[in-house]
Amino acid sequence: MTDTSPIRRAATQRPLLEYKHVRKSFGAFTALDDISLTIYPGEVVCFIGPSGSGKSTLLRGTNGLDPFDGGEVIFDGLVLPRKPSDVRKVRRRMGMVFQNFELFPHKTALQNVAIGPITVLNTDKAEAEQQAMILLAKVGLSDKADNYPVNLSGGQQQRVAIARALAMQPEVLLFDEPTSALDPETIGEVLSVMKALADEGRTMVIVTHEMSFARRVADWVIVFERGKVLEEGPPEQIFEAPTVERTKEFLGHLGWA
Amino acid sequence: MTLDWSIVWLNKGLLAEGALMTIVLTVLTMGLAVPLGIVLAFMRISKWRGLALLSQCFVELFRNIPLILIVYWSFYVIPILVPVQFSAFTTGLIALVLCVSAYNAETFRAGINSVRAGQTNAGLALGMSQFQVMKEIILPQAARRVLPILATTWVSLFKDTSLVSVIAVGELSHVALQIRSQSFRVLEMLTAMAVIYWMMGYPQAKLSDWIRKKFEVKE
Repeated sequence: MTDTSPIRRAATQRPLLEYKHVRKSFGAFTALDDISLTIYPGEVVCFIGPSGSGKSTLLRGTNGLDPFDGGEVIFDGLVLPRKPSDVRKVRRRMGMVFQNFELFPHKTALQNVAIGPITVLNTDKAEAEQQAMILLAKVGLSDKADNYPVNLSGGQQQRVAIARALAMQPEVLLFDEPTSALDPETIGEVLSVMKALADEGRTMVIVTHEMSFARRVADWVIVFERGKVLEEGPPEQIFEAPTVERTKEFLGHLGWA
Repeated sequence: MTLDWSIVWLNKGLLAEGALMTIVLTVLTMGLAVPLGIVLAFMRISKWRGLALLSQCFVELFRNIPLILIVYWSFYVIPILVPVQFSAFTTGLIALVLCVSAYNAETFRAGINSVRAGQTNAGLALGMSQFQVMKEIILPQAARRVLPILATTWVSLFKDTSLVSVIAVGELSHVALQIRSQSFRVLEMLTAMAVIYWMMGYPQAKLSDWIRKKFEVKE
Protein backbone atom coordinates (compact mmCIF):
# COMPACT_ATOMS: atom_id res chain seq x y z
CA MET A 1 0.00 0.00 0.00
CA THR A 2 2.99 2.32 -0.20
CA ASP A 3 2.38 4.93 -2.84
CA THR A 4 5.91 6.08 -3.50
CA SER A 5 6.24 4.20 -6.76
CA PRO A 6 8.41 6.19 -9.19
CA ILE A 7 5.58 6.76 -11.63
CA ARG A 8 3.79 9.07 -9.17
CA ARG A 9 5.22 12.35 -10.46
CA ALA A 10 3.91 14.62 -7.70
CA ALA A 11 5.32 12.41 -4.97
CA THR A 12 8.48 14.47 -4.59
CA GLN A 13 6.47 17.28 -2.94
CA ARG A 14 5.17 17.55 0.56
CA PRO A 15 1.72 15.87 0.72
CA LEU A 16 -1.29 18.19 0.76
CA LEU A 17 -3.59 15.62 2.26
CA GLU A 18 -2.82 12.46 4.17
CA TYR A 19 -5.13 9.86 5.64
CA LYS A 20 -3.55 7.83 8.42
CA HIS A 21 -5.18 4.63 9.65
CA VAL A 22 -8.65 6.01 9.13
CA ARG A 23 -11.54 3.92 10.46
CA LYS A 24 -15.27 4.34 10.43
CA SER A 25 -18.21 2.05 11.15
CA PHE A 26 -21.94 2.41 10.87
CA GLY A 27 -23.20 0.03 13.54
CA ALA A 28 -21.81 -3.40 12.72
CA PHE A 29 -20.83 -2.32 9.20
CA THR A 30 -17.20 -1.33 8.75
CA ALA A 31 -17.18 1.46 6.17
CA LEU A 32 -13.49 2.30 6.38
CA ASP A 33 -10.99 -0.22 7.62
CA ASP A 34 -7.57 1.26 8.40
CA ILE A 35 -7.15 3.44 5.32
CA SER A 36 -3.86 5.24 4.78
CA LEU A 37 -3.42 7.35 1.65
CA THR A 38 -1.52 10.38 0.42
CA ILE A 39 -2.56 13.13 -1.97
CA TYR A 40 0.02 15.54 -3.36
CA PRO A 41 -0.46 19.14 -4.49
CA GLY A 42 -1.65 19.55 -8.07
CA GLU A 43 -2.82 15.97 -8.37
CA VAL A 44 -6.15 14.78 -9.67
CA VAL A 45 -6.97 11.67 -7.66
CA CYS A 46 -10.00 9.55 -8.47
CA PHE A 47 -11.60 7.21 -5.94
CA ILE A 48 -13.33 4.35 -7.72
CA GLY A 49 -14.94 1.13 -6.59
CA PRO A 50 -18.31 -0.53 -6.08
CA SER A 51 -21.12 1.17 -4.13
CA GLY A 52 -20.64 0.87 -0.40
CA SER A 53 -16.89 0.41 -0.74
CA GLY A 54 -16.14 3.44 1.44
CA LYS A 55 -14.94 5.95 -1.15
CA SER A 56 -17.66 8.54 -0.44
CA THR A 57 -17.34 8.03 3.31
CA LEU A 58 -13.62 8.77 3.07
CA LEU A 59 -14.28 11.91 1.03
CA ARG A 60 -16.96 13.20 3.43
CA GLY A 61 -14.65 12.67 6.39
CA THR A 62 -11.91 14.71 4.73
CA ASN A 63 -13.41 18.04 5.81
CA GLY A 64 -14.91 16.64 9.00
CA LEU A 65 -18.56 16.81 7.88
CA ASP A 66 -18.86 13.16 8.77
CA PRO A 67 -15.95 12.61 11.19
CA PHE A 68 -13.98 9.37 11.29
CA ASP A 69 -14.06 7.06 14.32
CA GLY A 70 -10.31 6.56 14.37
CA GLY A 71 -7.11 7.63 12.65
CA GLU A 72 -6.49 11.11 11.36
CA VAL A 73 -6.54 13.41 8.37
CA ILE A 74 -3.51 15.63 7.91
CA PHE A 75 -4.10 18.65 5.73
CA ASP A 76 -1.15 20.82 4.78
CA GLY A 77 0.91 19.38 7.61
CA LEU A 78 -1.69 19.82 10.36
CA VAL A 79 -4.04 17.23 11.87
CA LEU A 80 -7.68 18.06 11.12
CA PRO A 81 -9.07 19.43 14.39
CA ARG A 82 -12.23 18.06 16.00
CA LYS A 83 -13.39 21.26 17.68
CA PRO A 84 -16.13 22.89 15.55
CA SER A 85 -14.60 26.39 15.66
CA ASP A 86 -11.20 25.02 14.57
CA VAL A 87 -12.38 22.62 11.89
CA ARG A 88 -14.24 25.52 10.26
CA LYS A 89 -10.96 27.28 9.52
CA VAL A 90 -9.73 24.19 7.69
CA ARG A 91 -13.01 23.56 5.86
CA ARG A 92 -12.93 26.93 4.16
CA ARG A 93 -9.66 25.86 2.51
CA MET A 94 -11.34 22.77 1.00
CA GLY A 95 -14.05 23.12 -1.63
CA MET A 96 -16.75 20.49 -1.73
CA VAL A 97 -19.10 19.53 -4.54
CA PHE A 98 -22.03 17.28 -3.66
CA GLN A 99 -23.86 14.61 -5.60
CA ASN A 100 -27.18 16.48 -5.22
CA PHE A 101 -25.62 19.93 -5.84
CA GLU A 102 -27.16 21.37 -2.64
CA LEU A 103 -27.43 24.84 -4.07
CA PHE A 104 -29.32 27.20 -1.79
CA PRO A 105 -32.80 27.39 -3.38
CA HIS A 106 -33.63 30.80 -1.91
CA LYS A 107 -30.63 32.42 -3.57
CA THR A 108 -29.82 33.17 -7.20
CA ALA A 109 -26.87 31.51 -8.95
CA LEU A 110 -24.80 34.64 -8.30
CA GLN A 111 -25.79 34.80 -4.62
CA ASN A 112 -25.01 31.10 -4.22
CA VAL A 113 -21.48 31.72 -5.44
CA ALA A 114 -20.98 34.93 -3.45
CA ILE A 115 -22.40 33.80 -0.09
CA GLY A 116 -19.28 31.89 1.05
CA PRO A 117 -16.86 34.83 0.79
CA ILE A 118 -19.49 37.26 2.16
CA THR A 119 -20.36 35.28 5.30
CA VAL A 120 -17.13 33.40 5.97
CA LEU A 121 -14.40 35.75 4.72
CA ASN A 122 -16.31 39.01 5.34
CA THR A 123 -15.66 40.02 1.74
CA ASP A 124 -17.44 43.19 0.65
CA LYS A 125 -20.70 42.27 -1.10
CA ALA A 126 -19.98 44.13 -4.33
CA GLU A 127 -16.52 42.62 -4.56
CA ALA A 128 -17.79 39.11 -3.80
CA GLU A 129 -20.45 39.43 -6.49
CA GLN A 130 -17.89 40.68 -8.97
CA GLN A 131 -15.74 37.64 -8.24
CA ALA A 132 -18.83 35.44 -8.48
CA MET A 133 -19.56 36.78 -11.97
CA ILE A 134 -16.02 35.86 -13.06
CA LEU A 135 -16.47 32.35 -11.67
CA LEU A 136 -19.86 31.94 -13.34
CA ALA A 137 -18.23 32.97 -16.62
CA LYS A 138 -15.56 30.35 -15.99
CA VAL A 139 -18.19 27.60 -15.72
CA GLY A 140 -20.02 29.04 -18.74
CA LEU A 141 -23.06 30.43 -16.91
CA SER A 142 -22.71 34.24 -17.05
CA ASP A 143 -26.17 34.49 -18.55
CA LYS A 144 -27.75 32.52 -15.68
CA ALA A 145 -26.44 34.70 -12.83
CA ASP A 146 -29.91 35.89 -11.80
CA ASN A 147 -31.62 32.51 -12.14
CA TYR A 148 -32.74 30.62 -9.09
CA PRO A 149 -31.59 26.98 -8.91
CA VAL A 150 -35.12 25.74 -9.66
CA ASN A 151 -34.78 27.32 -13.11
CA LEU A 152 -31.48 25.63 -13.93
CA SER A 153 -30.86 22.16 -15.34
CA GLY A 154 -29.00 19.62 -13.22
CA GLY A 155 -25.79 20.18 -15.17
CA GLN A 156 -26.10 23.94 -14.76
CA GLN A 157 -26.80 23.59 -11.04
CA GLN A 158 -23.71 21.46 -10.60
CA ARG A 159 -21.60 23.97 -12.48
CA VAL A 160 -22.89 26.74 -10.17
CA ALA A 161 -22.01 24.48 -7.23
CA ILE A 162 -18.47 24.14 -8.59
CA ALA A 163 -18.24 27.94 -8.91
CA ARG A 164 -19.53 28.23 -5.31
CA ALA A 165 -16.73 25.93 -4.13
CA LEU A 166 -14.13 27.85 -6.17
CA ALA A 167 -15.25 31.17 -4.65
CA MET A 168 -13.50 30.27 -1.39
CA GLN A 169 -10.22 29.81 -3.34
CA PRO A 170 -9.76 26.35 -1.88
CA GLU A 171 -6.48 24.49 -1.90
CA VAL A 172 -8.21 21.23 -2.70
CA LEU A 173 -11.54 20.42 -4.37
CA LEU A 174 -13.51 17.42 -3.12
CA PHE A 175 -16.08 15.99 -5.52
CA ASP A 176 -18.59 13.47 -4.17
CA GLU A 177 -19.99 11.66 -7.22
CA PRO A 178 -20.57 14.98 -9.00
CA THR A 179 -22.32 13.49 -12.02
CA SER A 180 -24.30 10.63 -10.45
CA ALA A 181 -27.53 12.64 -10.11
CA LEU A 182 -27.35 14.12 -13.61
CA ASP A 183 -29.23 13.33 -16.79
CA PRO A 184 -26.84 11.68 -19.24
CA GLU A 185 -26.95 14.65 -21.63
CA THR A 186 -25.70 17.09 -18.99
CA ILE A 187 -22.88 14.95 -17.59
CA GLY A 188 -20.49 16.08 -20.33
CA GLU A 189 -20.74 19.78 -19.50
CA VAL A 190 -19.85 19.15 -15.85
CA LEU A 191 -16.97 16.84 -16.73
CA SER A 192 -15.51 19.36 -19.14
CA VAL A 193 -15.57 22.06 -16.44
CA MET A 194 -13.78 19.62 -14.15
CA LYS A 195 -11.26 18.76 -16.86
CA ALA A 196 -10.51 22.48 -17.30
CA LEU A 197 -9.90 22.80 -13.54
CA ALA A 198 -7.59 19.80 -13.64
CA ASP A 199 -5.66 21.39 -16.50
CA GLU A 200 -5.13 24.49 -14.32
CA GLY A 201 -3.20 22.28 -11.94
CA ARG A 202 -5.76 22.26 -9.14
CA THR A 203 -5.65 19.54 -6.54
CA MET A 204 -8.81 17.51 -6.92
CA VAL A 205 -10.14 14.42 -5.17
CA ILE A 206 -13.00 12.90 -7.12
CA VAL A 207 -15.30 10.05 -6.15
CA THR A 208 -16.66 8.88 -9.48
CA HIS A 209 -18.23 6.13 -11.52
CA GLU A 210 -17.17 7.83 -14.77
CA MET A 211 -14.36 5.47 -15.68
CA SER A 212 -13.43 7.07 -18.99
CA PHE A 213 -13.14 10.44 -17.23
CA ALA A 214 -10.93 8.92 -14.53
CA ARG A 215 -8.82 7.24 -17.20
CA ARG A 216 -8.40 10.49 -19.14
CA VAL A 217 -8.01 13.07 -16.34
CA ALA A 218 -6.69 11.36 -13.21
CA ASP A 219 -3.04 11.40 -12.19
CA TRP A 220 -3.68 8.72 -9.64
CA VAL A 221 -6.50 6.23 -9.20
CA ILE A 222 -7.42 4.49 -5.96
CA VAL A 223 -9.67 1.44 -6.05
CA PHE A 224 -11.78 0.75 -2.96
CA GLU A 225 -13.55 -2.37 -1.88
CA ARG A 226 -15.25 -3.14 1.43
CA GLY A 227 -13.64 -0.26 3.27
CA LYS A 228 -10.13 -1.10 2.11
CA VAL A 229 -7.86 0.08 -0.66
CA LEU A 230 -7.73 -2.70 -3.22
CA GLU A 231 -5.13 -1.12 -5.43
CA GLU A 232 -3.74 2.28 -6.33
CA GLY A 233 -1.70 3.51 -9.21
CA PRO A 234 -1.60 5.69 -12.30
CA PRO A 235 -4.67 5.30 -14.56
CA GLU A 236 -2.67 3.41 -17.21
CA GLN A 237 -1.92 0.73 -14.65
CA ILE A 238 -5.39 0.55 -13.08
CA PHE A 239 -7.30 0.51 -16.35
CA GLU A 240 -4.90 -1.33 -18.64
CA ALA A 241 -2.93 -3.64 -16.39
CA PRO A 242 -4.44 -3.91 -12.92
CA THR A 243 -2.29 -5.96 -10.59
CA VAL A 244 -5.19 -7.15 -8.46
CA GLU A 245 -7.69 -9.66 -9.77
CA ARG A 246 -10.65 -7.93 -8.04
CA THR A 247 -9.88 -4.67 -9.85
CA LYS A 248 -10.16 -6.53 -13.14
CA GLU A 249 -13.48 -8.01 -12.07
CA PHE A 250 -14.84 -4.63 -10.95
CA LEU A 251 -13.84 -2.92 -14.18
CA GLY A 252 -15.12 -5.90 -16.12
CA HIS A 253 -18.58 -5.47 -14.54
CA LEU A 254 -18.61 -1.91 -15.83
CA GLY A 255 -17.87 -3.15 -19.33
CA TRP A 256 -14.33 -1.82 -19.17
CA ALA A 257 -11.57 -3.83 -20.83
CA MET B 1 -92.42 33.04 14.78
CA THR B 2 -91.63 36.66 14.04
CA LEU B 3 -88.12 37.85 13.58
CA ASP B 4 -87.10 41.30 14.74
CA TRP B 5 -83.77 42.25 13.15
CA SER B 6 -83.84 45.72 14.67
CA ILE B 7 -82.24 44.25 17.77
CA VAL B 8 -79.01 43.88 15.78
CA TRP B 9 -79.05 47.48 14.58
CA LEU B 10 -79.93 48.78 18.07
CA ASN B 11 -76.83 47.14 19.47
CA LYS B 12 -74.51 48.00 16.61
CA GLY B 13 -72.18 49.96 18.86
CA LEU B 14 -71.76 47.12 21.33
CA LEU B 15 -71.27 44.60 18.55
CA ALA B 16 -68.64 46.81 16.92
CA GLU B 17 -66.79 47.06 20.22
CA GLY B 18 -66.97 43.27 20.57
CA ALA B 19 -65.66 42.79 17.03
CA LEU B 20 -62.82 45.19 17.74
CA MET B 21 -61.99 43.27 20.91
CA THR B 22 -61.90 40.02 18.89
CA ILE B 23 -59.39 41.57 16.49
CA VAL B 24 -57.29 42.99 19.34
CA LEU B 25 -57.22 39.56 21.04
CA THR B 26 -56.18 37.84 17.79
CA VAL B 27 -53.41 40.33 17.05
CA LEU B 28 -52.04 40.36 20.61
CA THR B 29 -52.16 36.57 20.89
CA MET B 30 -50.28 36.05 17.64
CA GLY B 31 -47.88 38.89 18.46
CA LEU B 32 -46.89 37.06 21.63
CA ALA B 33 -47.24 33.47 20.43
CA VAL B 34 -44.90 33.88 17.43
CA PRO B 35 -41.80 34.95 19.43
CA LEU B 36 -42.69 32.50 22.19
CA GLY B 37 -43.11 29.73 19.60
CA ILE B 38 -39.68 30.56 18.12
CA VAL B 39 -38.08 30.41 21.58
CA LEU B 40 -39.80 27.08 22.30
CA ALA B 41 -38.71 25.67 18.92
CA PHE B 42 -35.07 26.62 19.50
CA MET B 43 -35.23 25.17 23.01
CA ARG B 44 -36.57 21.95 21.52
CA ILE B 45 -33.71 21.57 19.02
CA SER B 46 -31.02 22.77 21.43
CA LYS B 47 -28.32 20.37 22.55
CA TRP B 48 -29.12 21.00 26.22
CA ARG B 49 -31.43 18.13 27.05
CA GLY B 50 -33.09 19.95 29.94
CA LEU B 51 -34.22 22.85 27.76
CA ALA B 52 -35.42 20.49 25.05
CA LEU B 53 -37.42 18.46 27.55
CA LEU B 54 -38.96 21.55 29.13
CA SER B 55 -40.09 22.79 25.72
CA GLN B 56 -41.42 19.38 24.76
CA CYS B 57 -43.47 19.12 27.97
CA PHE B 58 -44.94 22.59 27.45
CA VAL B 59 -45.85 21.90 23.85
CA GLU B 60 -47.31 18.45 24.45
CA LEU B 61 -49.35 19.70 27.40
CA PHE B 62 -51.00 22.70 25.79
CA ARG B 63 -51.33 21.19 22.33
CA ASN B 64 -53.29 18.22 23.60
CA ILE B 65 -55.91 19.68 25.86
CA PRO B 66 -58.97 21.58 24.62
CA LEU B 67 -58.58 25.35 24.48
CA ILE B 68 -61.76 25.91 26.47
CA LEU B 69 -60.25 23.89 29.30
CA ILE B 70 -57.10 26.03 29.21
CA VAL B 71 -59.34 29.09 29.41
CA TYR B 72 -61.22 27.82 32.48
CA TRP B 73 -58.00 26.53 34.00
CA SER B 74 -56.32 29.94 33.59
CA PHE B 75 -59.34 31.62 35.13
CA TYR B 76 -59.40 29.46 38.26
CA VAL B 77 -55.76 28.38 38.64
CA ILE B 78 -53.70 31.49 37.83
CA PRO B 79 -55.15 33.44 40.80
CA ILE B 80 -54.04 30.60 43.07
CA LEU B 81 -50.54 30.34 41.55
CA VAL B 82 -49.68 34.04 41.42
CA PRO B 83 -50.69 36.73 43.89
CA VAL B 84 -51.55 39.20 41.12
CA GLN B 85 -55.17 39.70 40.14
CA PHE B 86 -55.47 39.59 36.35
CA SER B 87 -58.43 40.98 34.45
CA ALA B 88 -60.63 38.59 32.47
CA PHE B 89 -59.04 40.00 29.30
CA THR B 90 -55.49 39.27 30.46
CA THR B 91 -56.49 35.82 31.67
CA GLY B 92 -58.10 35.05 28.32
CA LEU B 93 -55.05 36.36 26.49
CA ILE B 94 -52.74 34.15 28.57
CA ALA B 95 -54.86 31.08 27.80
CA LEU B 96 -54.81 31.80 24.06
CA VAL B 97 -51.06 32.48 24.07
CA LEU B 98 -50.35 29.22 25.93
CA CYS B 99 -52.26 27.22 23.35
CA VAL B 100 -51.16 29.04 20.17
CA SER B 101 -47.48 29.24 21.15
CA ALA B 102 -47.50 25.45 21.59
CA TYR B 103 -48.87 25.11 18.05
CA ASN B 104 -46.41 27.67 16.70
CA ALA B 105 -43.48 25.92 18.37
CA GLU B 106 -44.33 22.75 16.44
CA THR B 107 -44.78 24.74 13.23
CA PHE B 108 -41.37 26.38 13.57
CA ARG B 109 -39.68 23.13 14.55
CA ALA B 110 -41.18 21.32 11.56
CA GLY B 111 -40.14 24.21 9.31
CA ILE B 112 -36.53 24.04 10.49
CA ASN B 113 -36.45 20.24 10.25
CA SER B 114 -37.95 20.28 6.75
CA VAL B 115 -34.76 21.80 5.32
CA ARG B 116 -32.69 18.80 4.29
CA ALA B 117 -29.41 17.98 5.99
CA GLY B 118 -27.52 18.43 2.72
CA GLN B 119 -28.20 22.17 2.92
CA THR B 120 -26.53 22.34 6.33
CA ASN B 121 -23.58 20.34 4.98
CA ALA B 122 -23.25 22.68 2.00
CA GLY B 123 -23.09 25.67 4.35
CA LEU B 124 -20.66 23.99 6.74
CA ALA B 125 -18.46 22.90 3.83
CA LEU B 126 -18.03 26.56 2.89
CA GLY B 127 -16.69 27.15 6.39
CA MET B 128 -19.82 28.68 7.90
CA SER B 129 -20.54 28.32 11.62
CA GLN B 130 -23.69 26.54 12.82
CA PHE B 131 -25.13 29.97 13.62
CA GLN B 132 -24.40 31.30 10.11
CA VAL B 133 -25.90 28.18 8.56
CA MET B 134 -29.06 28.69 10.65
CA LYS B 135 -29.30 32.38 9.78
CA GLU B 136 -28.31 32.33 6.10
CA ILE B 137 -29.46 28.92 4.92
CA ILE B 138 -32.00 27.24 7.19
CA LEU B 139 -34.21 30.03 8.55
CA PRO B 140 -34.89 31.77 5.22
CA GLN B 141 -35.99 28.45 3.74
CA ALA B 142 -37.94 27.46 6.85
CA ALA B 143 -39.74 30.83 6.91
CA ARG B 144 -41.25 30.23 3.47
CA ARG B 145 -42.67 26.92 4.64
CA VAL B 146 -43.82 28.24 8.00
CA LEU B 147 -45.66 31.33 6.80
CA PRO B 148 -48.62 29.52 5.16
CA ILE B 149 -49.11 27.39 8.28
CA LEU B 150 -48.99 30.47 10.50
CA ALA B 151 -51.63 32.03 8.28
CA THR B 152 -53.88 29.01 8.78
CA THR B 153 -53.27 29.13 12.54
CA TRP B 154 -54.21 32.81 12.45
CA VAL B 155 -57.57 32.09 10.84
CA SER B 156 -58.31 29.36 13.42
CA LEU B 157 -57.22 31.63 16.25
CA PHE B 158 -59.51 34.40 15.03
CA LYS B 159 -62.48 32.07 15.47
CA ASP B 160 -61.17 30.42 18.64
CA THR B 161 -61.03 33.77 20.47
CA SER B 162 -64.80 33.21 20.87
CA LEU B 163 -63.97 30.63 23.56
CA VAL B 164 -62.77 33.25 26.02
CA SER B 165 -66.38 34.50 26.17
CA VAL B 166 -66.89 31.83 28.87
CA ILE B 167 -64.86 33.93 31.30
CA ALA B 168 -66.71 37.12 30.30
CA VAL B 169 -64.09 38.73 28.08
CA GLY B 170 -66.07 41.32 26.12
CA GLU B 171 -65.29 40.12 22.62
CA LEU B 172 -67.81 39.58 19.86
CA SER B 173 -69.25 36.28 21.09
CA HIS B 174 -69.65 37.42 24.64
CA VAL B 175 -71.32 40.68 23.61
CA ALA B 176 -73.67 38.95 21.17
CA LEU B 177 -74.60 36.21 23.62
CA GLN B 178 -75.25 38.80 26.33
CA ILE B 179 -77.63 40.68 24.05
CA ARG B 180 -79.31 37.38 23.19
CA SER B 181 -79.98 36.47 26.79
CA GLN B 182 -81.28 39.93 27.63
CA SER B 183 -83.55 40.27 24.61
CA PHE B 184 -84.41 36.60 23.94
CA ARG B 185 -83.75 37.34 20.24
CA VAL B 186 -81.83 34.07 19.89
CA LEU B 187 -82.04 33.44 16.17
CA GLU B 188 -81.39 37.06 15.22
CA MET B 189 -78.34 37.41 17.43
CA LEU B 190 -76.80 34.07 16.46
CA THR B 191 -77.31 34.89 12.78
CA ALA B 192 -75.82 38.34 13.25
CA MET B 193 -72.85 36.78 15.02
CA ALA B 194 -72.32 34.33 12.17
CA VAL B 195 -72.54 37.09 9.57
CA ILE B 196 -70.08 39.34 11.41
CA TYR B 197 -67.59 36.50 11.99
CA TRP B 198 -67.89 35.42 8.37
CA MET B 199 -67.41 38.91 6.99
CA MET B 200 -64.28 39.36 9.05
CA GLY B 201 -62.99 35.80 8.61
CA TYR B 202 -63.49 35.39 4.87
CA PRO B 203 -60.92 38.03 3.79
CA GLN B 204 -58.43 36.53 6.24
CA ALA B 205 -58.97 33.06 4.82
CA LYS B 206 -58.49 34.43 1.29
CA LEU B 207 -55.33 36.21 2.38
CA SER B 208 -54.12 32.96 3.91
CA ASP B 209 -54.74 31.16 0.59
CA TRP B 210 -52.82 33.86 -1.24
CA ILE B 211 -49.87 33.54 1.14
CA ARG B 212 -49.93 29.77 0.65
CA LYS B 213 -49.72 30.17 -3.12
CA LYS B 214 -47.18 32.98 -3.06
CA PHE B 215 -44.73 31.24 -0.73
CA GLU B 216 -45.07 27.74 -2.10
CA VAL B 217 -41.60 26.18 -2.05
CA LYS B 218 -40.43 25.03 -5.45
CA GLU B 219 -37.43 22.79 -5.60
